[in-house]
Amino acid sequence: MGDPAGSPVLIDGNKVMAEEKTDGLVHLTIDDMPVAVPPGTLVWAAARQAGIEIPIYCYHPKMPPLGACRMCFVEIEKIPKPPQTACTTPVSEGMIVHTKTEKVLKARRGTLEFLLINHPLDCPICDKGGECDLQDFTLRHGPGGTRFDLKKRHYPKPVPVSNEVMLDRERCILCQRCTRFSSEISMDNGLVMISRGFRMEVGTAPDHAFDSVFSGNTVEICPVGALTASAYRFKSRPWELKHVPSVCNNCSVGCNARLDVRVDKIMRLSSRQNDEIDDGWLCNRGRWGFDFVNSPQRLRTPLIRQGDTLEPTTWEQAFYLIATRLGGIAKAHGAKSIGGIGSTRTTNEEAYLFQKLLREVLGTPNVDHHHGSFPGSRDPLTGQPWMMTNSIADIEKASHIVLIASDPYERQPILNLRIKKALKAGARIFIVNEGVTELDRLAQGKITLPQGSTGLAAKLLLATALTTEKAHGQANELRTRVKQEASLARRTLGEETAAQLEALAYEIAAAQGAIILYDEMATLAPNSADLAADLSALAVVTGNINRPGAGVGPLFEDANSLGVRDMGLLSDSLPGYQPAEEAGLAYTEMLQSPDIRALFVMGANPLRHGALPSNLEFLIVQDITLTETAQKADVVLPALSFAEKDGSMTNVDHHVQAVRRALRPLPGAKADWEILIALANHLGDRWNYTGPQDVLKEIAASNPFYSGLTWEGLGAQGVRTGEQEVARA
Amino acid sequence: MESLEGKRGYPRLKPPFPAAVGLYGGPTVINNCETLSTLPAILRNGPDWYASFGTEKSKGTRVLCLSGQVKKPGNYELPLGTPFRTLIYDEQYGGGILDDRELKAIIPGGSSSPILGPDKIDVAMDYESIAAAGSMGGSGGVIIINDDTCIVGAILRMTEFYRDESCGKCTPCREGTYWLTEVLHRLEHGAGKQKDIDLLLDVCDNISGKSFCPLGDAATSSIVSGIKLFRDEFLEHVRLGGCPKHLAHAGAHSALK
Repeated sequence: MGDPAGSPVLIDGNKVMAEEKTDGLVHLTIDDMPVAVPPGTLVWAAARQAGIEIPIYCYHPKMPPLGACRMCFVEIEKIPKPPQTACTTPVSEGMIVHTKTEKVLKARRGTLEFLLINHPLDCPICDKGGECDLQDFTLRHGPGGTRFDLKKRHYPKPVPVSNEVMLDRERCILCQRCTRFSSEISMDNGLVMISRGFRMEVGTAPDHAFDSVFSGNTVEICPVGALTASAYRFKSRPWELKHVPSVCNNCSVGCNARLDVRVDKIMRLSSRQNDEIDDGWLCNRGRWGFDFVNSPQRLRTPLIRQGDTLEPTTWEQAFYLIATRLGGIAKAHGAKSIGGIGSTRTTNEEAYLFQKLLREVLGTPNVDHHHGSFPGSRDPLTGQPWMMTNSIADIEKASHIVLIASDPYERQPILNLRIKKALKAGARIFIVNEGVTELDRLAQGKITLPQGSTGLAAKLLLATALTTEKAHGQANELRTRVKQEASLARRTLGEETAAQLEALAYEIAAAQGAIILYDEMATLAPNSADLAADLSALAVVTGNINRPGAGVGPLFEDANSLGVRDMGLLSDSLPGYQPAEEAGLAYTEMLQSPDIRALFVMGANPLRHGALPSNLEFLIVQDITLTETAQKADVVLPALSFAEKDGSMTNVDHHVQAVRRALRPLPGAKADWEILIALANHLGDRWNYTGPQDVLKEIAASNPFYSGLTWEGLGAQGVRTGEQEVARA
Repeated sequence: MESLEGKRGYPRLKPPFPAAVGLYGGPTVINNCETLSTLPAILRNGPDWYASFGTEKSKGTRVLCLSGQVKKPGNYELPLGTPFRTLIYDEQYGGGILDDRELKAIIPGGSSSPILGPDKIDVAMDYESIAAAGSMGGSGGVIIINDDTCIVGAILRMTEFYRDESCGKCTPCREGTYWLTEVLHRLEHGAGKQKDIDLLLDVCDNISGKSFCPLGDAATSSIVSGIKLFRDEFLEHVRLGGCPKHLAHAGAHSALK
């Protein structure tokens, strides 16, 4: 019997001896339990794997060891001067570790007594109480009382260190997790240690604001109640919260999150580590940006237009009206007079049903959503649909990261942390942008472009790359296309900028692995219609595709931007990017077409991007609040937020992940999928899906990017999928 | 090295040791002034000449920094193995105790080395002999305390130093030196309790060997050795409600009135 790779803890000690040095693992004994772990593992982590708790404060698995709090003491045989700290000691073969000797227990009691001498013990009014490592470890490892009978130190409190974060210096145990997060992870030094010795404290540096979009992570990793979130302070006690594993709905990264819910209100989101996606972090937008879910403005009943006002009605009447009016319009003007605009924030199942309703039930090809401008649904050069060719985790392996017209800090924040991690590992970062971005200060190169010239810059990059040896003999038709455009670009951008771009193109061509990322919406800028195609070609001709640490692709905007493309919410393609027999009107075309008489808008707000179709007779809006577009609607259908329903979403690197219901549905509103099924049935079809799980089954059976997926199979961390043969049932 | 690199002055995690990965990641050798100051003479006269000084095991000389209550404090280079008595009383060196008072205690190697009593006056100043006497050669900073000095006050002063010098990185040193100072302060100034003496010893035990770097250990040496040698004086502080020296002064003042 071999040692199964996934379970290196062996119960039988003899087996460990027999397999020594054959499995590449280090074997040690912790509290008489044999453990096998990879070389370099810290004793703390080895113990955790064996189910033995060693208390820690300063250590955090995502940061280098510090050895400051002196809580994780263990005794290691043959190492002089016990005790040792488990968070700084790597394992070695044959090591014998004891975690519960009298020496260890006394040392831990001593540390806890030290940490508590000036602690205010205000647990009853502390937000952290109930999920506080100081409280919990004191209970499990600490002394029952204290011998400190002097006056405790006092500080003014709480001190707002930012708009979002409050600092209570009396509760702080100076573990320095927050300041190390600021220096090592977010690399902005928002929080720093001030003074020394017993006067040491956490604070902000003079003239340096702690305004990081990542500041909420410091609250989460604070092991005590020293850093609290102004958004959550005094809102709830941890034991009143129901924890629901789900996915953040705020951008396309799809960070795994835990929804902390109390009496059908979201109180906060916490990170839920998924190393492939978020690396254990969550940005402030995700953490606290859920007001739309709890909003008192949520729609609680269907509305129908009565003259100038929208009046409450029943679901039955709303469905009846929709069926009658759509039927009438189709009869009078043909099915193609109906258009559907979907959302980037609804689930895959809902997007799938939406296009199915429009295409199959209503018979119109006019289906789209607001998205970047891509030439066709697939890249003509690679044949791949438009999406990042690399994974998020791949970013760490890149030697070069080139951000073109993209600013992850503002738009996909957690990717910014991944790029910084790559930077620490030695990657070179280049930024090509018309404006200023947060990463500029850390980049090896920043090329500032004149307004509206990103598309030209991409052409120049591509044209230059085509002159390199790597591109020799490749893509000759491309060469002739970009040649002329490149000389125009050179003139428009100016000599200096052009020279910088050319140097960057050579750097990309010579890179061990370059990842080129651009913002989806940058393709909508003037002169940028070819941006996606040119950058994809840049990656292809420089060999930066289909290998580790290299890639290219758009950074999408919303939580399910990629998923709804997969689901065929595109004017020219059906689910799975199968070409539509007849292309429908695209987003802008629909809004500008005089032939559109009826528009069904689900979770979108097209009035933000222009006027409604000029001859529009009937507007249906399905949303959670009364958006600008909904205010103009003839029928408004109240929908549910991501927190109130089950379904799958697909993030920027094509992880298909489960969003799970955390709240009871808002009374009066229905999930989009539920509304769509009811509508299809009112329109004369017979849809008998009992829930999103059934819809996913249908998707998995027909969509090559979802082949074989099941609701259960998505598990806690989702599945990253690519195009596969579909096994048709 | 951390300070040179512009970071907070924290001790680094070892390994890697500075000789492998030091300043700005390069291999770095760190020596103190005393070591470097011996080099010219050794280079000029040869290692055998240098080794002819000192004892069998502790060869060479040390630059001893004599301070405290002696007539002639200063830096004196002496062969290892020279007795304390020579350093303190020889006219060439210390020239005797200030005001010709009695010797009360010797701190042989800086404030981080355990205190020795006057009975150790004839101990030879080499590493082995000082260790056998219960202390260490340490930095070579020999501090002399005479019988007019309150040992609690002296230890308080040294502990304040460690409290202020603690970088604050690790819990036992940062919080422990603060607590020790507070307790010593109240013993010296009249609010001490009998239990404080054993409390001091146990707090020292919770610092010693538990701190990140040896500064925490160093902070406890004077207290542990001081209580061992002078427990009665500590008890007297509790009994009298303060330092006998202060109280005597206070008495003198009131008698003058």
